[in-house]
Parts: sequence; structure tokens; C-alpha cells
Amino acid sequence: MDFDNLINGLDRATLDGITRGSIYALVALGYTMVYGVMKLINFAHSEVFMVGTWTVLGVYTVLGATSSSGTGMVIGATLLALIAAMLASAGTALAVERIAYRPLRKKGAPALIFLITGIGCSMVLVEVFGQVLKYFFGPPFGRVLVNVPAVLETKTVFTIPGVDLAISNTRILIIVGAIVMMVALDTFVNKSRLGRGVRAVAQDPDTASLMGVNQERVIMLVFVLGGAMAGVAALLFTIQYDSTKFDIGFIIGLKAFTAAVLGGIGNLRGALVGGLFLGIVEVYASAIWDSSWTNVYAFVVLVVVLMFRPTGILGESLGKARA
Amino acid sequence: MIRSTKTWQAVALTAVATLALGACGTTDTGSSSGDGGDSGGDCNFKIAAMGALSGPNASIVVPSVDGAQLALDQWDGGDCTVELERFDTEGDPAKATPVATQIAGDESFIGVIGGAFSGETRATKTIYQDGGIPMISQSATATDLTQDDPVEVFHRLVPYDDYQGAAIAKYLLDEVGASKVFVIDNSEAYGEPLADRVEETLGDAMIQRDKTEVGQTDFAPTIAKMESAEPDAIMYGGYIAEAAPLLKQIRDAGITAPFIGGDGLYGADFGNAVGDAGEDAVVMCPCAPIEGDSTFAADFEEAYGGAPGAYAAEGFDAMTVFLKGLEDGARDRASMLEFVNGYTGDGLSKSIAFDENGDVPQDQVSYWAYKNVGGTLEPEVEVKPAE
Repeated sequence: MDFDNLINGLDRATLDGITRGSIYALVALGYTMVYGVMKLINFAHSEVFMVGTWTVLGVYTVLGATSSSGTGMVIGATLLALIAAMLASAGTALAVERIAYRPLRKKGAPALIFLITGIGCSMVLVEVFGQVLKYFFGPPFGRVLVNVPAVLETKTVFTIPGVDLAISNTRILIIVGAIVMMVALDTFVNKSRLGRGVRAVAQDPDTASLMGVNQERVIMLVFVLGGAMAGVAALLFTIQYDSTKFDIGFIIGLKAFTAAVLGGIGNLRGALVGGLFLGIVEVYASAIWDSSWTNVYAFVVLVVVLMFRPTGILGESLGKARA
Repeated sequence: MIRSTKTWQAVALTAVATLALGACGTTDTGSSSGDGGDSGGDCNFKIAAMGALSGPNASIVVPSVDGAQLALDQWDGGDCTVELERFDTEGDPAKATPVATQIAGDESFIGVIGGAFSGETRATKTIYQDGGIPMISQSATATDLTQDDPVEVFHRLVPYDDYQGAAIAKYLLDEVGASKVFVIDNSEAYGEPLADRVEETLGDAMIQRDKTEVGQTDFAPTIAKMESAEPDAIMYGGYIAEAAPLLKQIRDAGITAPFIGGDGLYGADFGNAVGDAGEDAVVMCPCAPIEGDSTFAADFEEAYGGAPGAYAAEGFDAMTVFLKGLEDGARDRASMLEFVNGYTGDGLSKSIAFDENGDVPQDQVSYWAYKNVGGTLEPEVEVKPAE
């Protein structure tokens, strides 16, 4: 136990926690939107994120972008990687919906079956990248850690005076990027016509159908939106950690799901609150003790919060006034 | 809808058929070789190699199994036919257990090369002990495997981590001249005791200790601690999969202190995985460099298209011991075990003899520090642990 360590490095730990939490929060959106509309935990969502990280790598490789590229190339490659990752992740999410969920939904399968097909999809996707693609194309596919070129070089942009905390360009991009995407999504769901449809189906699917809302289209929309957010998270993740792996989604997906539950599953702002809260708690606890217990801290916090707020910090619901 | 149902039925049928065929295949092999064993004079055996043959740590293991295969290919068995069968455990104790049960239950296996890692070896050695099948590990170095909890069937060609830890500490003190070492481990069977031993030997020269875990990608809390501790050297006990992102994040944070790891990083993939951040990182290994112009290096290169990698010589030696046993007339597990227990001879890696715990004599072992230069591990200096 080393509380001094945390207190002395509080600024740095908070920054690390927010960085980690921003990525959790973006991935958590996918879980929370799908749950809000369908009351279903999409366990394949972690792999939707993983596909995004590989897409980023693919774009960089095709463009030949590296850290020594010019400014124009860096911005172009990063933007293209963002769009490609969003498209690929959204496409994967949509494919999962079409293949694993829609046929079952049409037959009225019990809720448990959806969980199993989701987990099955997740395993298939993991092994596609771990083994199938390696069989056809060889490296970089396979069960190893793969480097993603650090196209956006980490540079200190400014230092917060007083605490002497260096803020780098990548940190700004991750934190601002995550918050902008979330505000955009929140506005879309609350203000737009399509968003109203999403909220309507979340509140009462049958009545929404009677009012002319196309339920299938709403379901597709939430998968696409959740997938696109995971794609953004994938780009930010590769910027921060410069690597990916076939099973990279597992732990992140689990943490993002925890963040979603922590904030109140089905609640968009809850995902943000839960993600940041979880990220900060993990880093603080790791500073006091050590990182080998990270998952224990995360779930202890989850249990404690749920004991007092069984529906999460901000409460459940995509359709109600709170969200 | 009907079409999709049919598709799924077809898939299910295919899957069932494959399983059934697979099962038949296994049964056939088992019974035929079982018959071979019963008839006495026949000499048809299999030797199992168990370890991480895929995954991020595979480059620490695959060359040793290739080395074993090379020894087998070069062997003139006379009437004997021996086959090396590879079992991939990904280094995971949970995946190694069913593999061990399968090997121990199949009488055609007369020896096991492995486990390659300590965790999987710890999880499986009692299974092999119950099956009475001799094991020779090329690279499992955890101290307790032979010192605290020895089993008769287990032997290894590498010294245990007490010595490796001492060698790493000695390198840090004498070669690096470090007085403020930051020690990190992966909280697992290999990394933690190794780091413990380094900590013990360093004494006051260790400034701080931190623990991480297997599968971790974000090491920000560790790096924050490092930034305030300002170490003049960093030691990591663990494997490549986590060492690569850890080292990258250390260098990204602008910390330039020398980085040293144990033989868990002694694989060709270390240089690839860590990239530029790994330049000049040091890996300690209880394995002497193989001379580039030796016959073994030439044969290995011809067979596998590259210089012999991690523990290739130890793998070669492990297979050689088993093959000598067959030459000596060992035809079942009990006589093979007796032969291995009493074996003495010069191997490629060192002169081999096993003590009552299954360890090789410590004075036969040399420790080498390898430096990562441009993605390749090059021998730097030999280190003799002070014991």
C-alpha cells in the first residue's frame, strides 16, 4: 500500500485513468445501445472493436504511413483509418446482427440463445484473425502481438503549470475525440428523427411498431452506431498503444461491458460516466497497490456500486427522460 | 428460411462426421501401436513435445522442438521407428492438462520433451508421474519444479531460476553498474519467483518493485511509478507478449534506463514485437551461443531455413537422451525412466547428467547476456552467478 505514490502522482494517474476510461466508454456505447433497444448483451461486440484495430493497421500498411511521414500524410492516413475502422466495425456489427441474431429473432428464440450465438460469433471472429487469415495470408495475422505503426508521433503540446503535467497530442486526441463522438451520438439519439425511433423502440417496441417505426431498421441502426463507436475506439486504442492482437477485444470488451453496467446499462451518458469512472479507479488502485490486481479492483467497484445503485450510477434506460 | 436451415444442417452433419472420423483415427493409432508394445521386440515409439507452439511466446519454444526433430532425423534407429509428435499448449497450464492426460494414456509414447514453460510443467508433472513417462524439459526453469516438489519423472536441461535470478542481478550490478533497479514481474509461475530472486540478490540496489499481469496492455500505472522512482535500470520477469508493450510504453514515456529480461524473452519474436523501442534491450539466458559455423548450426539452417533459435541445442539434447535410451534397449517407460535417471554424456548445450531431483549440475551451465541489436539477439557477455 503506497498512498503517497498516488497522492504525489495524482495528476498523472488521473490523466492515465481518463485516457483508459475514454476507450472503455466508447466501446461501452455498443453494449449499452443494443441492450437499450433489444435487452440483449451483444457478446460479439468486443470483436467488433478488434476488427477495427486491424482495419487501422491495414490502412496504414496500404498507404505505407509511418511516423516519418509528412504532416499531410499523417492527417490523411489517420482520417482515412478512422473512417475505415468505423465502416469495418459497423459492418462487422451488422453482419453479427444479420447472421447470429436476426434469424433467431424471427423464430422467436428464447433470450438465452442469443447470448450463446453472440459468444460463438465472438470466438469465430477471434480465430478468423488468429488462425484463418494467417493460413491464407501469413503474417501479420496470427496469434501474436502485432505492431501498428505510430503514424501520429507522440509530442508534448503543453504542460499544465503548477503540477508540471505534460499533455501530449495523442492524449488530447483520445480524450477530445471520445467526448466529441459521445456528444454527437447523444445529440443524434435525443434530437433526430431516427434517434426518436430508437428511443421509441427502447421504451415500447410494440407501440412503436404501431406508430409506424420500423423495428428492424432501428435494430440495424443501433448495431451500426455501436459498431462505428467501437471503430473510433479502435483507432484511439492503436494511437495510444501502437499494437493489436487477435484477442485484444476480450479484456477491453469485458471492461467496457462492466463500464456500461456501472453507469447504467441502456443509458448513453451512463456509458461515459461508467467508462471514465472505471478507468480512473483502475489506475488509482494500480498506483496504490499494483497492476496485477486491476481486474479485482474493477469488479469490487462494480459490486459496491451495484449494492447501492442496482441499476448503475445513472440508472437504466435509453428511452426515459434521463437519457 | 428453409434454405438456411438446410445449410446449417449440412454444417452440423459435416462437423459430426469430422468428429467421428477424428475419433476413429485416434482409436486406430492407439490400438495399433498398443499391439506393437505388447509383442515385445518391436520398437515403434512416439515422443511427445509439449509447449507453446503458437501464440506470442511460440518463438521461445518452436526452435527447441525443431532441434529435437533434427536430432531424430539424424538418428539411425536401425529397427526402431520413432516419431516426434507436437502438442500445442500455448504455454497455458489449463490447455496443457488435457494434453498430458492424452499423452500419459497412450502407451506408444515413451518420453516427453517439455513442458517448455514452468506453469504448464507444474500443472502436468504429476499426470506424467502417474503415467510413469519420463520428461526432459528444454526450458522450464522455475525453482520449485525440482527443489520444493520434485517428481521422479521430471528432468531438465536448464538450471533453475535461483541461479538465473542471481545471474541477472550480477549483470545489473557489474555490467550495467546499476544502483537503482526497478523490478517488475508478471505475477505468474515463471516471472514472479525470478523477480523475487533478483530482488533478493540486488538487496539495496533495488529501488522499487511492481507487479503486472499476463494479458495486460496498458502499463501506465507502472510507468508513472517508474517516472517518480527514476531508476537507472529496469528488470522484467515475464514473457514476450507483455514485455513488448511494456517496453514500448516505457520508451514512449521517455525513460531511457537499460532494460533487462530473463529467458522468457529469449525468442526471435521479441525483437519483432518490440520494434525500435527494444534496441539494446538485454535478455539473459542460461544458454551458450551456438557457434555460427558449427555443424549443428549448418544442419539446423538447412532443415529450417534459419539460425538455431531459442533452446534449439537443448531440444536436440533432450531428444538425443531418449534416442540413446532406445539404442540401449529401453522398450518401455520404466526402463526408459531408469536410463534417463542414470544418463551421463556430452550434449550440444552442456555435459548432461541428472541429479536425484532431475537437475543438471549447475557448474555445467553458462549464462549469457544477449543484446537486441536491430531486432536480433546477439551474445554480449557471459555472466557467472556468484554461487
